Amino acid sequence: MAEQAKERNPGCTGCEEASEEELLRRLDEVIANYKTRPGALIPVLQMAQGIFGYLPEVALKRIARGLGKSYSEVAGVVSFYSFFSTVPRGRNLIRVCLGTACYVRGGMKVLEALKKHLGIDVGETTPDREFSLEVARCFGACGLSPVITINDNVHHRVKPTRVAEVLAQYASNDGPQDQVVRADEVQATTEGLEVPRPGGEVIADEAPVGPSEAVSAGAGERRV
Amino acid sequence: MDKVRTDVLVCTGGGCIASGALEVSAAFSKELEDLELDEEVRVIETGCLGPCAVGPVVLVYPDGVFYQNVKLEDVHEIVEEHLLKGRVVQRLVSQAPGTDRTVAEISDVEFFNRQVKIVLRNSGLIDPLKIEEYIARGGYQALAKVLTEMTPEQVIDEVTLSGLRGRGGAGFPTGLKWKFARQTPSEVKYIICNADEGDPGAFMDRSVLEGDPHSVIEGMAIGAYAIGAKQGYVYLRAEYPLAVERLQYAIDQARERGLLGPDILSTGFDFDLEIRMGSGAFVCGEETALMRSIEGGRGEPRPRPPFPAVKGLWDKPSVLNNVETFANIAPIIMKGAEWFASTGTEKSKGTKVFALGGAIQHAGLVEVPIGIQLGEIVYEIGGGIPDGKQLKAVQLGGPSGGCIPKTDLNVPIDYETLQDLGAIMGSGGCIVMDEDSCMVDVARYFLDFIQDESCGKCPPCRVGTKRMLEIVTRICNGEGREGDIERLEELGQIIKDTALCGLGQTAPNPVLSTIRHFRHEYEAHIRDHYCEAGVCTSLFTARCTNACPASVNVPGFVSLIGEKRFHEALRLHRERNPLASICGRVCFHPCESKCQRGALDAPVAIRSLKRFMTEQETEIELPEVRVDPSNAARKIAIIGSGPAGLSCAYFLARLGYKPIIFEKESSPGGMLVQAIPAYRLPREEVGREISMIESMGVTIQTGTALGRDFTWADLRAQGYEAVFLAVGAPQGIRLGIPGERGEGVMEALTFLRDYNLTGTARVGEEVVVVGGGNSAIDAARTARRLGARHVTILYRRQRNQMPAWTEEVVAADEEGITILELTAPKQILRDAQKRVVGVLCERMALGDYDRSGRRRPVAGRNPDFTVRCDQVIVAIGQSLDASALLDGLPVGLEHGWVKADPRTGATSIEWLFAGGDAVSGPASVVEAVAAGERAAVGIDQYLTGANHAFWRREVAVDVPFDPDADPVATPRAPVVCLDPELRACTFAEVELPWSLETAVAEAKRCLRCDYGKVSAIAAEAEAIVQRAAEQEAGLVAAHGAGLVTSHVAGVAQTEGEVD
Amino acid sequence: MADKIKSPVDLLALAEKAKAEVELRSGAKDIKVTVHMGTCGIAAGAREVVMAFLSEVSNAGLENVTVHQAGCAGLCEMEPMATVRTADGSLYHYGHLEDRSRVREIVRSHLAGGTPVTEYLIKTPQA
Repeated sequence: MAEQAKERNPGCTGCEEASEEELLRRLDEVIANYKTRPGALIPVLQMAQGIFGYLPEVALKRIARGLGKSYSEVAGVVSFYSFFSTVPRGRNLIRVCLGTACYVRGGMKVLEALKKHLGIDVGETTPDREFSLEVARCFGACGLSPVITINDNVHHRVKPTRVAEVLAQYASNDGPQDQVVRADEVQATTEGLEVPRPGGEVIADEAPVGPSEAVSAGAGERRV
Repeated sequence: MDKVRTDVLVCTGGGCIASGALEVSAAFSKELEDLELDEEVRVIETGCLGPCAVGPVVLVYPDGVFYQNVKLEDVHEIVEEHLLKGRVVQRLVSQAPGTDRTVAEISDVEFFNRQVKIVLRNSGLIDPLKIEEYIARGGYQALAKVLTEMTPEQVIDEVTLSGLRGRGGAGFPTGLKWKFARQTPSEVKYIICNADEGDPGAFMDRSVLEGDPHSVIEGMAIGAYAIGAKQGYVYLRAEYPLAVERLQYAIDQARERGLLGPDILSTGFDFDLEIRMGSGAFVCGEETALMRSIEGGRGEPRPRPPFPAVKGLWDKPSVLNNVETFANIAPIIMKGAEWFASTGTEKSKGTKVFALGGAIQHAGLVEVPIGIQLGEIVYEIGGGIPDGKQLKAVQLGGPSGGCIPKTDLNVPIDYETLQDLGAIMGSGGCIVMDEDSCMVDVARYFLDFIQDESCGKCPPCRVGTKRMLEIVTRICNGEGREGDIERLEELGQIIKDTALCGLGQTAPNPVLSTIRHFRHEYEAHIRDHYCEAGVCTSLFTARCTNACPASVNVPGFVSLIGEKRFHEALRLHRERNPLASICGRVCFHPCESKCQRGALDAPVAIRSLKRFMTEQETEIELPEVRVDPSNAARKIAIIGSGPAGLSCAYFLARLGYKPIIFEKESSPGGMLVQAIPAYRLPREEVGREISMIESMGVTIQTGTALGRDFTWADLRAQGYEAVFLAVGAPQGIRLGIPGERGEGVMEALTFLRDYNLTGTARVGEEVVVVGGGNSAIDAARTARRLGARHVTILYRRQRNQMPAWTEEVVAADEEGITILELTAPKQILRDAQKRVVGVLCERMALGDYDRSGRRRPVAGRNPDFTVRCDQVIVAIGQSLDASALLDGLPVGLEHGWVKADPRTGATSIEWLFAGGDAVSGPASVVEAVAAGERAAVGIDQYLTGANHAFWRREVAVDVPFDPDADPVATPRAPVVCLDPELRACTFAEVELPWSLETAVAEAKRCLRCDYGKVSAIAAEAEAIVQRAAEQEAGLVAAHGAGLVTSHVAGVAQTEGEVD
Repeated sequence: MADKIKSPVDLLALAEKAKAEVELRSGAKDIKVTVHMGTCGIAAGAREVVMAFLSEVSNAGLENVTVHQAGCAGLCEMEPMATVRTADGSLYHYGHLEDRSRVREIVRSHLAGGTPVTEYLIKTPQA
């Protein structure tokens, strides 16, 4: 069964330095694997977004050709689902939950505070490519509202007045290496706002968090 | 060691993981290893246990001890104390509600013991990554049973008989759905699990998949056997990575064990499963759209019929059920349809899992029998509303559902009843909303959601919801128009009737249900530009000011206090409320409960600051008074010198009028001096503010009563052009029980009035006070001070439901007054000489929820008992003898109170205005002040035809503020009180003054919500009125529609008319 | 790779085998044995008593018994101690259980047979 897990997860490691040819080669592998399966398009797009971090036109064209579909059909599907992005995202993806529970408990104020702090609107990326801001509908952590996720970390009961503290954990000054934050340090500095990622690894284990990592994790492609 | 003696279960549901459960689990393992206990104590990571709000949670078996909020640093203590020494760590177990008793065992925790677990039978109990544990709990035996002992038809019959209905929302009978698919002939069929739990606020499916994935696999396999499918799909949201991971792991395990794949259990039945991930389209929760998405296309719904049971995925017969539905299947097969049907209501069987969230103490996942009362979920299981706030509504069913108001807490939750109320069962999102939720904003939220998620295929949904959103947004921004509500209702009905899919057809529900139950909020937004909850920010500058009935500029005066500019602060306060000193002592401060600072640490102590500010006043500085000889010549009478009458006189005086107040009693002030005791409100404070009003040209004639010393006809004959009636609610209400008439029983108002006006009142040795309001507490505390040895308050409901303010109840406690809750008097006992000797009391129990959202007290089963006493004071309410008062004057009444326009105080007689308790029933000082102000403006409008309320202009204060500075958490300054020992025999003020340092520091805690907003709001308001004026061609002023209470419109209205 | 489950019989066998895994968590049983594990109890050998009860209960095949641990019972000179609560709510306090044979006897006579071992009892049953 390990075979299957691997097959589901071809783009999960070491994609940071890979060249475009290398990425496209991996995409071709995915396409080859899925080609014969019914309803392959969406899983392949999910994988592709995992590989590239977003869905560049070149990948979409490759997928269309590989699966024998028209480019317009592929593009139509991509534009339909909010999960797909055709523009690159920042190094850290912030998603603010605006599910009902979070909304009732002030999710909107958190979003406003983040917008103000980052100086960007929803769907935008900071000029330094550090943060992208998106809204989401419910992560199912309603008992802990309001909730935001940054990459794969859930931050719960976020107070609008404290977003700066939360973001500080992700900001890098001299490049990605410096953003290593150990979970235990986080605990000490933010009074319980921080959270370890599901899967039990401390954040330090995965720094730097590349865009593809953030996205692929969101697609649920973590190893068991 | 030959056996594991203890299991430590660490909940690793999504909520607890987010709270750090994985680290806690690792720490347990390490500690146990260090102590070499790791062989006898096992650490198991389980799925969601439910109470996510108190996570991480840890359960220790076999003791069944339930620990909550377990932090890393607590692990050592639990291991050392409990696992090694067997002593429960009391600090980390929850407290039984309302008692000091801590509860340790899971069976004692209210959150758990009212639940009935079928779907969540294994969640939190087994390790979701171990198929063996699922099997040990009887897992896959239902599958074995159907494959070896039952025909597909028998399976379908059993499921049909059980009465199971689809848990995804609409509640279609599951057995019937399966039957249709079974009956459609086809080589290939599909069974699909809808795990695209898109309703914001619902997370039960996620929890089942994370905590007990095999129960879904087994249910699907049984369903596949029943309909004749060999392939299944689980359509799962990409937002749930952990659920994807665990389900995939479970599928792999089942396949490895031969429970999925070819020839399952050597019966010749083949079945396999694949996960397909959703990509963030809400509409894919709709079955035809979901199937389209699995096929790899745009997830757009198509019209039905043909139904998927006939023509579904890849045009083959398909059955789609949701996660919770499948999780019910195995227990039904094993325990039988009859067992399942024994839970629930006649038409809705079994249990339902709800995701309880929003403004609730114990947010989390609960599984309850269908038909349970909504109130039980909110209060008994959910633990009620946090921070002492009031419940407003419960939203069920997400964007397709509706809001149920607190007046309907009694309803049983089942498919039909919810539909009748305009909500739906939905997937089980249950969002509790308190007074801080604006229902118009909630409707806007859901419309925004739907608009965002509409797939765009059919115009009613795409265009209709857009149009509705525009209207609702307009209302939230204060630009609503008359007729908007009706337009929304009409549009909603059209969408309901014509949209293509279920999502579109239910899209208007959140709007229609909020209009149905909270129409007054829509009207307040449209007509008064007022958002009661303080959510629609374009309608006000600061939430505190918005919450103040008198619209006092709270951030303004507070920030001036921070600058030690006390006189300016006071002046600003008196722009809208003359009784600053009085309110600084007795106001119930609704401003504080809306204070934004509360979100950071604790609300600013606004009332205490107000009091401090008035203590700095050396000489009363008069407010701006506009001298106007023509106004001064008009004759205006005010009847009653309570806060409403005083306030009306004050504001009339500021416009140059010279009104006269007629007061029945010997001294002015109404309830301020007759009912409120001096230890709360020193009389010199009242006197000071009354003198201020007198010095502005107001005459107060005491000892002059309407009906006794003058009549309505006299007033008219003497040329009074307008009269403001503000007589309050001066009569008490009787108990209506035997023994009430005669010596020794009196009404609280009479008792308080006697003492406060004459300085003496008869008080017994042992006094019983009946009631739970402020008058009851005032009477009890006064009796105590007058020498009663013992005072007992009888209250028929629970203590925390007493209408009296909490501070007062606490003070009564401190002064040694006994409060007997759930106790009602049955008879007043008298001896042969007719002297009161006691009260026969009945023990009450809590019955159903009443219209106020509280449980109704009903006769309990405990025997009656007697409280000995020699005096009974009755404080169960106040009333107004309107017919005697009005003496034939044809004034409209409502529920026995005078009916008056809430905006202008106008009654059905054009020259008569009314306000205060006589209109609203017993209320507060600040509400009376506000009513007085509105009536003053109303009277001026009546006499001159225009609105001159210059004080309604919102002014920005010039106190500097750095909006970018991050506030530092600082505690709220506490109220300092006189030692309870010293209070017993003195009427000296209980609350002691603050120091200058305390007050300034407290004032600086204000977050200045008004900062930079006042001028913007004023400009906005001007623009709005401008637009309205253009549209309605000057009708605004003529109809008085602009005569609104809101300062926003007030600004705009006075613009150009004043100055 | 785990064995395939080839028949319903296999499944039942596996369920039986795996039962022990989840037994501790199966909720309240009729009889509850509480071993007192204060500092003095542990010093006197209470941990061994817990293990002894567990294995004796398991050997005797009793399914209606759970073994719990709790703090000091306050009678240090009688440690190690255990309290048996039977289905009717009666409490029996046993003392000086250092010897495993005493545990065995309590399990056989009292827990399985319903007859308290009066010899080791500290107190008579309370309502």
